[in-house]
Amino acid sequence: MKRLLLSISDGRGFDIALVSVPLTFLFMMAGLPLAYNIVMSFQEVDMFSLGTFLRPFVGLKNYATLFSMPETWPILKNTALFVIASIAGQFIIGFGLALFFWTNFPGASWLRGLFLVSWVMPGLVVGAIWNWILSGDFGVLNYLLRESGLITGNIFWRSDPSFSLWAVVIANIWLGISFNMILLSVGLSTISQDLYEAAELDGANVFQRFFTITLPMMRSTIGAIISLGLIFTLQQFDLFAAITAGGPNNSSNVAQYWAWDLSFRQYDFAQGATISVIMIVFVMIASVVYVRSTRHEVRG
Amino acid sequence: MNFALRDKVMLAIAVLLAAVYLFPLYWMYVTAIKTGSAMFASPPSFWPADPQWSIYRSVWESRNVGRYLWNSVVIASGAVLMITILGTGCAYVLARYRNAWVDAGLFLILMLQVLPASLMITPIFVGFSQLGLLDYPRTAVILAIAAKSMPFFVVLVRATFMSVPIELEEAALVDGNSRFGAFFHIVLPLARNGILVSAILIFMQAFGEFVYSKSMIQAIEYQPASVGLNSFMGPNTNEWNNIMAYAAMYVTPILAIFVLLQRRIVSGLTSGALK
Repeated sequence: MKRLLLSISDGRGFDIALVSVPLTFLFMMAGLPLAYNIVMSFQEVDMFSLGTFLRPFVGLKNYATLFSMPETWPILKNTALFVIASIAGQFIIGFGLALFFWTNFPGASWLRGLFLVSWVMPGLVVGAIWNWILSGDFGVLNYLLRESGLITGNIFWRSDPSFSLWAVVIANIWLGISFNMILLSVGLSTISQDLYEAAELDGANVFQRFFTITLPMMRSTIGAIISLGLIFTLQQFDLFAAITAGGPNNSSNVAQYWAWDLSFRQYDFAQGATISVIMIVFVMIASVVYVRSTRHEVRG
Repeated sequence: MNFALRDKVMLAIAVLLAAVYLFPLYWMYVTAIKTGSAMFASPPSFWPADPQWSIYRSVWESRNVGRYLWNSVVIASGAVLMITILGTGCAYVLARYRNAWVDAGLFLILMLQVLPASLMITPIFVGFSQLGLLDYPRTAVILAIAAKSMPFFVVLVRATFMSVPIELEEAALVDGNSRFGAFFHIVLPLARNGILVSAILIFMQAFGEFVYSKSMIQAIEYQPASVGLNSFMGPNTNEWNNIMAYAAMYVTPILAIFVLLQRRIVSGLTSGALK
């Protein structure tokens, strides 16, 4: 006992104690739910069997039901569209801003910091603001688009099925510009200026320098940012809750919102767990890409 | 083109871009103090002619904003406290050693960071209800948030510990300190700033958390401000000035912290995500 105490205060035991408590906590709060989720996706779960572990196993029935539902494929398509459009928008605007602020003029770093504001705002607040901006009759976005002659009639962003997903995409792009820009700025600042000076001496123009120096040097940063963007976009829930709630008629529903909706609106926990399992596999694949692209730095 | 002019043009473009980007925030503050008719005027006015400052007081009282914000503070503080106590030591060990075990631990932690809350809530909710934890809804949410945000904290704080020279700790050990003493008297004080900034970042995230609170807290008197805002926004609401006033009261404290600590937050964030 004394040796154990000594080891904890002054030896290997100190490290093991420091690391084992949090890892145990994480295992109980993330590892076990993950496993439980998989178990539930093979079970029949309803309001009455919620309190017991001994639920009837039904094999792959939940998965079969899921893929026979008429809304499944449209929702998966929405998810893909949401992810691709959001990442494309965030990345292009973020990269543009990062390149712009990289030119280094007085006040650049302070103004660049302002663009991080959206990162710290609660998602629900961002959703509420965009909900109002995108409002059909009185929304300020419709007003600006009308005045600039881009549209003639109001777009009902939230209630028109062909626009509702795009309403959330717009808000999500605004939200995601900040982290794309700031991480891309960090990547840009690590490129040595000597390369550009040498290229300039050799007569390379702006575009040649961008495509032959900037892009190749940024490859691992860009890989990390795109996979981070995929991870963050698949985590996006608050904006859906605040802007469209998946409607109208599932036209703006995505898998991560649908899983929650099935569990907590329709109390179909087994279906919710089934979608969760499928989506978590996707997220895991994305995160392996992310971890691999930052691996040399993880190793230190 | 001379350099002074170029700088001025760039600065002007940058200010313009920032103005476009920050417009949603401006629109929130302006809408909040508009009268009911000014809010729905067409064309909309971009400057409130008749600011209604009393709206803040009336929304604060009618929507019980104080109680919601207090719950948010309780939940965020609880989660930050738990994460800091558990995560700091973990980050320290992961920063101090380089071996296969540490690599495996880091990999695990990075993987846990990416699990979407809206997908994890189903098993957590069912598990918690079986354990009876849902009778203490705020504690349940604190536990869930702690597990969700701890990996991010560990990654950030690990970067801080890496920048503390190991020689200082070794010198303390040679001078007769125990590992315990060296950690608490030498390493922790040196890493204090990094830990503080990471804790503030986690606090701001937890302050705006929505999925777990919405799913696990049924009793209205324990709900945080994010859930309150959600129930305020019905499907066909037209009280947008009141909603924007609520949102402004919710978000202004966070924005104030952000503006005050902007430089540190930016450097803390960037050191964690890519290093």
